[in-house]
Amino acid sequence: MSATPLSALAQVVRSKNAGPTLLTIDLFFEDAQAYARAAGSTHLAPDAVAVLYQRDPGDVQRYLLPSIHAIKYTMPRRICAGDPGDGDVYGAQQHAALLGVLL
Amino acid sequence: MTACERLLRTHRPADGPLRVLAASGQLGYGIPADALERGLQRRPHVIGCDMGSIDPGPHYLGSGTMAAPAAMVRRDLELVLAAARALDIPLVIGSAGTAGAAPHLDATVALIRSIAQEKGLQFRLTTVHSDLQAEQVLEALADGQLDPIGPMPLPTPDEVRECSHIVGQCGTETLARALQTPTDVLVAGRACDTAIFATLPEMLGYPTALCLHMAKIVECTSLCCRPAGRDAMLAELDMEGFTLESMNPLAHATPASVAAHALYEQADPLEVDEPTGTLLLRDARYEALDGHRTRVSGAGFRPRAQPTLKIEGAAPIGARCVLLAGVADPTLLACLPQVLAAVEDKVRQLVPGAWSVHSHIYGQGAVAPLPDARHGQHEAGLVIEFLAPDAALSRTAAGVFKQNLLHHGYPGRVSTAGNLAFAFTPSEIDAGTAYRFVLYHVMRDACLGDIFQVRSHMIGTPSLH
Repeated sequence: MSATPLSALAQVVRSKNAGPTLLTIDLFFEDAQAYARAAGSTHLAPDAVAVLYQRDPGDVQRYLLPSIHAIKYTMPRRICAGDPGDGDVYGAQQHAALLGVLL
Repeated sequence: MTACERLLRTHRPADGPLRVLAASGQLGYGIPADALERGLQRRPHVIGCDMGSIDPGPHYLGSGTMAAPAAMVRRDLELVLAAARALDIPLVIGSAGTAGAAPHLDATVALIRSIAQEKGLQFRLTTVHSDLQAEQVLEALADGQLDPIGPMPLPTPDEVRECSHIVGQCGTETLARALQTPTDVLVAGRACDTAIFATLPEMLGYPTALCLHMAKIVECTSLCCRPAGRDAMLAELDMEGFTLESMNPLAHATPASVAAHALYEQADPLEVDEPTGTLLLRDARYEALDGHRTRVSGAGFRPRAQPTLKIEGAAPIGARCVLLAGVADPTLLACLPQVLAAVEDKVRQLVPGAWSVHSHIYGQGAVAPLPDARHGQHEAGLVIEFLAPDAALSRTAAGVFKQNLLHHGYPGRVSTAGNLAFAFTPSEIDAGTAYRFVLYHVMRDACLGDIFQVRSHMIGTPSLH
């Protein structure tokens, strides 16, 4: 199977604050097959996502939700929402780094 | 008899489902009137509105101002007040005025009084004040009773004292206390989103797990639908589950869209901490009733012995002035960070004082880190913020920085007439007082009865005849 970017495989790739100190990212897939391909990819393992987001290994918590074909990641925000230097107060545009991940 | 008293005395779960109408997930941005009207035709037992959030950042809590435009807040309040009073059903509004501190609550109550006077409405208003005094937090800090939520440092005592407002999120335990008093309209300061919609159902005897799960989904109205929207959402709750239905016929609550919404803004998708316990969603079931409605059941609840309290506090950090400009010169684009650092050095010599500068270079990784190779080649946008103890200094630093950046010489420069493109002048804009979050913590063993003050108000003057 040729490599496919996550943006082509997932229906929804979204990020948002879970409170001002945490960032949470949700991936939703159309069916069990697409979900399984993403959930099984080393490129979407928690440590790989930590590298992508320049977080320490172990900082990224992953939740696999096969019943709704979804994967969630939760990680600490780089800085508290709204602190000087923050570039995304709502955390709503932090999903983009994942879109090009090849599966 | 007030609307709450009547509902609590007359409705029993055995009588049939409780109809909870979520009119707004963020009151003040324009409640879609058509969907609200369709919701009212379904004869809801209660109307709930969320009016705030911590999402918009520390400014609103710190300053005591509303994020939503006052004219639109008034328009939305008029809609829901008129609806609830016409049907004589309880109206529950939480997180008044964005951040739910005393000035937000006062401003919301003032609008309600003004609307009531204009429309000739009379009713019992109950308010819940969510403010904490610095002393209460200092005591908890000294006793080791503050736990950070996420990577939040413990504050110093001075940082706690510097907070302009500190609020606690009241939960169902507190709103139940408020709703036991004669109430037509309840307006709470900072409140858990879930408490707005779950408290009356729980008081009526519906299972806590279902009440909270229902509340968690409807608090954003039709955001849980496809296509997502802001239209009123109806939940029909019984002892076994609840049915979700958007009041916009084109926004469909599907099992996938509803299940997905349970994850929204939530760190842990399976266990959701609420003040009175943990909502357990591992066994939640979502089933389509038809193309428009979804039936939800199966959530569990693990109560805790004593309700927890989440507190939020914001403190001023100075005055902010913002410089807005564009850059299109390719040579400058390639060395922009170095040029900004060199200009800062120059300005430091010219403008003494405790000002700081924070550069956001759009096109070069302002939103998310971006390797140099992927930097925009065509142009970049500069949003440069200056923070200083007072507005005169932040404005001075911004103005001097702007002019020095405009005419800064750098290696290979060909555009010797100016380095910046301004969309308008003045390109440096005073952005008022800047704030930051100091508190986002759980306060253990807090005495909720002392913190959350419940008050009763008669709104409108009884008629003379």
